[in-house]
Parts: sequence; structure tokens; C-alpha cells
Amino acid sequence: MKAFDATRIRKTILDMAYAGSTVHIGCAFSIVELLAVLYRNHLRLDKDDPSSSRRDYMVLSKGHGVMAQYACLNEIGWLSDEELGRYFGNGTRLKGLADAHVPGVEATAGSLGHGLSVGVGLALGAKRNGTDQICYALVGDGELNEGAIWEAALFASQFKLDNVVVIVDANGFQAMGTTDEVMGLGNVAAKFTAFDFDVATIDGHDETAIDAAYRDLKSMKNGRPKAIVAKTVKGKGVSFMENDNIWHYTRLTPQTYEAAVSELRGKA
Amino acid sequence: MRDAFSNALVAAAQKDPRVLLLTGDHGYALFDPFRKACPDQYMNCGIAEQNMVGVAAGLAKAGFRPIVYGLAAFVPIRVLEQIKIDVCYENLPVTFIGDGAGVVYAQLGTSHQSTEDIAALRAVPQISIYSPADGFELNACFDQILQSEAPAYLRMGKADLGDVHSAPLPASSCHELLPLSSTGTAPYLFVATGSGVKLAQKVAAAIGGADVVSASCLKPFPEASLRKLAEGREGIVTFEEHSIYGGLGGIVAETLMGRYTGTFIRIGIEDRFSTLCGNYPFVMESHGLAAVDVENRIRKTLEENVQYQQ
Repeated sequence: MKAFDATRIRKTILDMAYAGSTVHIGCAFSIVELLAVLYRNHLRLDKDDPSSSRRDYMVLSKGHGVMAQYACLNEIGWLSDEELGRYFGNGTRLKGLADAHVPGVEATAGSLGHGLSVGVGLALGAKRNGTDQICYALVGDGELNEGAIWEAALFASQFKLDNVVVIVDANGFQAMGTTDEVMGLGNVAAKFTAFDFDVATIDGHDETAIDAAYRDLKSMKNGRPKAIVAKTVKGKGVSFMENDNIWHYTRLTPQTYEAAVSELRGKA
Repeated sequence: MRDAFSNALVAAAQKDPRVLLLTGDHGYALFDPFRKACPDQYMNCGIAEQNMVGVAAGLAKAGFRPIVYGLAAFVPIRVLEQIKIDVCYENLPVTFIGDGAGVVYAQLGTSHQSTEDIAALRAVPQISIYSPADGFELNACFDQILQSEAPAYLRMGKADLGDVHSAPLPASSCHELLPLSSTGTAPYLFVATGSGVKLAQKVAAAIGGADVVSASCLKPFPEASLRKLAEGREGIVTFEEHSIYGGLGGIVAETLMGRYTGTFIRIGIEDRFSTLCGNYPFVMESHGLAAVDVENRIRKTLEENVQYQQ
């Protein structure tokens, strides 16, 4: 099986969520392909040193999806199976939101609207250091409600940070409902275009399209920051979780865990 | 004190290319020398303070030493969460300058006044808090900050009151309570910070019988020095241009709780906003902080307590 296989990552997420009896499954599932392709084909990392000074940065600004990132870090070998098995447990270090004390996690996020600014600072630091490091920052569409996101977007344009790639996980849901119900976002791609970003809109579960978007955008060294609006499905991969926001809050039972794993097994 | 600050900034940036000055579109004129001397190390981040602090955190992680400047009403108050999560949780070497702290922007009203910044920031782990009273203390604090690789907040209040010291101080001095009188054995001890030091000196001169010490570092606070200085005193008074809750008054009370039984008075802002417009002396007076009012209040309290004890 290839590295960063999406189905295996989803299985790892389910195992973590079941072991820790945790929530936030749907928002982890929606970003699996986006992260899998990034880690597999694009992020330049030193496998022996998560804090290598020449690494590309992956900032998970929507910290609620952290189980998907933990699963990827497990694929690299930075987090062990045993550690994932103790997820959420007393005295462990893997918390329920992105935490920069974990190797490979660049920013503490989950209070939304923080990670993109930190990522923009990392990208500016790379420019000032004369490196070719790229900073990918994954934000939720609900997170776009936060004003700081747009402050960061203005800043990235003003400082000509073409090494910033904002990935919008446009799954259409936030905590209390659909994004349209809560705080309509309108045309997200047009908004980033208006902030002088180069923008690609893709199917966020189509690995070929994702790969092409990363490849095309990062090659455009034109002084303009980049954004990918990835249309995704919250809960993607398990039929009874898809587009049902209850899986932002629901814990697995032995029955739902078995049903979900069985669906994934059918796809493997 | 602002000249000292400007000069210290330029010197720091010229000495260390990792030093970057970030401002949220504030510091007109103040940063002219810096922009002239170190144009590449100056960044106007726009009127977007939350992003500015996040960017500073990212720059610090990439190896730089950002100095984030704003009015104290915005840095640290508006960006408290960014300071907590982006900077302090990772113990990054970011320095925050909160200018115009207290009621310096008297006529501009509540939005630009900052009398809660020490209290709010004190409870955030990892960050040091400095509150210099004059240019000499500012230089010592700034040196101390640059020697550290941790978050720091430098509170700059009313800056045109004149010096309280007469010679440069070593960086280590900010971790002491600096004596401003010679006896050291007076019945009363006045502990002051920032602009409160001048006020304490005025009141001490009028009342007599008081030793004045300046606390230029509020966190970590020189607790052992205070406990020693408190021994045998009949009265202790704190002076600060900040709420009496959670600032110097709170720190001294927490430090001496259970170890001191004399009279204790906190001079500061009494849990209310400035309601009326007016210049700095007017607003200070409206908060009961005119020197003569403070003097009368302290005299009255000390006399009442003496009678009570008799």
C-alpha cells in the first residue's frame, strides 16, 4: 500500500477517536486527501528532524482536524502507533486540538484565526532568511469568519509572500450549522482573488486535482500568495458521517466504530 | 524616556540583525531614527494587531527577535490571546512594547487608556513584565529583555515626567527594588512603579518618614527584597497608574500576605473608567491621583490606623 493512503489514514483516525472516545471526526475526515497528498508529494521534511531549519511548514490552522495530521505524522514515523493508541488519555501529549509542542505541529490552533498569521510569519521569516521554504496553512471555511484571517491575507499580499499557500477546507459546515446558515461566505475564491491571491478551486478529495493544484501554485514565483479552495465533504469516507454535522460532536460506540471500519475495509 | 527607548531600539537592531521592529501603524515620529538607521528591520503591519502578533510568533520561530510595538490598549490588551497562545505557550523571544500605558491618552478616552494590562498579562505564564520609571530604568529593562530568549512586555507609561535616577543602571538592577531615598529605615515604605514613582516621591517629600523604592520589573517580582524591606514598617503604600486590582498593589499584597501586619494602602485606579474628557492632570485628579489628594488620603489612613492601634 502506498504511503499516506487516504483510507488507512481514515482508519487511523477512527482508531484514535475510538481509543480516546473523542469527537471531531467529521472535520478530520474532510482534510484527509489534502494532507495525504501534501505529505506524500510536496512537503520537504527531514524525516530524522521534525524541526529542521529548512523544512516546509504545514500549519493546521483549523486545529480541530488534528487527528488527520497526527495520522500523517504517524505515517512519517514521528508519532508511534502506541502513542496514537493512547490519544486523549491522561498524562499523554496528544491533545484534542493542534498543539505546537508536538513534533511536526507548527502552531497551537483551535482557537481559530491564529495559525494563518503564524504561518505568514514563518513564510516571511523564510523570505528574510533567503530560503525557498514554503508554508502551507490549512484553514476551515468556518474559520474564515475570524477577522484575523483577513488581516493575514492582506499582510501576505502586502509582503509579497508567494511562499504561502492557504488551503481552505470548504466542507460547508461549522460548529452550529452550515456556513450559509451561520455566516454566509459567498464566493470564497473571489474573496481571495480580491486580496491578490492566485487561487485554484478543486475537489478536495480528488488526489490528482489536489496534486496538480499544489504543483502549479507553488511553481508560480510571482510575488502573489496562493489559495486553494478545496470543496470537501465533512465526514468524507464513511457514508453515515458524510454531511452530517453531528459527527463534529459524536463519539463512537462499538457499533458505529465497527460499521465505519467495515465501510473503510470495503474501500481498501 | 521615549528618546531612551528610540535609541535603545536602534542600538539593538544595529547590534543584532535578528531584531525586527513590528508596529501596528503606530509610532509616528518615534520611529523616524529607526527607519533611517535600520530600514530593512522595520515593518509596518498595518492596523491589524492580532495578525501582527501571530506574524511575530512565526518570525521568532524562524529565528528572528521581533519587537512588537503598539499602544498598551491594543498591545497587550487587544491581542492577549495571541500573546498567550502564539507566543507564550511556545516561550518565543518576542518583546511587546505597550506605549501610553495608564491614562496617558487622557483626552482620547477609554479606548486608548490602559489600566488593566499588567493584571491581564500577569496571569499568562512565561512572560516577564517590565514597567520602567525613567530612561535609566528603561535602558536597564531593555538590556535585560535582550539578554533573555523569552517573551517580555515593556510597559511605557507617562514618559515626560523626568528622571528619577541620576546615572545608568546595570541590567540586573531591574530585578531589585531600587531605593530612591537614603535612610532605608523610615517608618513607611512606598513601593512604586512607572509614573507612580514620581508621585510617590512627591508624596513622600510632603509627608516625610517614607522610603521610596521603584519596582521596574513586576514579573518576576523581587519578592525576597520586598519581604526584607517590609520588616518593621508601620505602613506600606503602593503607587501605580493602573488598576489597584492585579497590578503592583496586588503583587505586593500577595507577596506580603501573612508576613506583614501594618497599614497597607494601594494608590491606583479604583475599578472605574475615566468618565469625563480632560488632559492628563485632569484625568489623574478625577481618579484621585493628584499628589495633594493622595497625600491627604495617605495621611488620613495612617492617622486613623495609629488611633485604632492605640
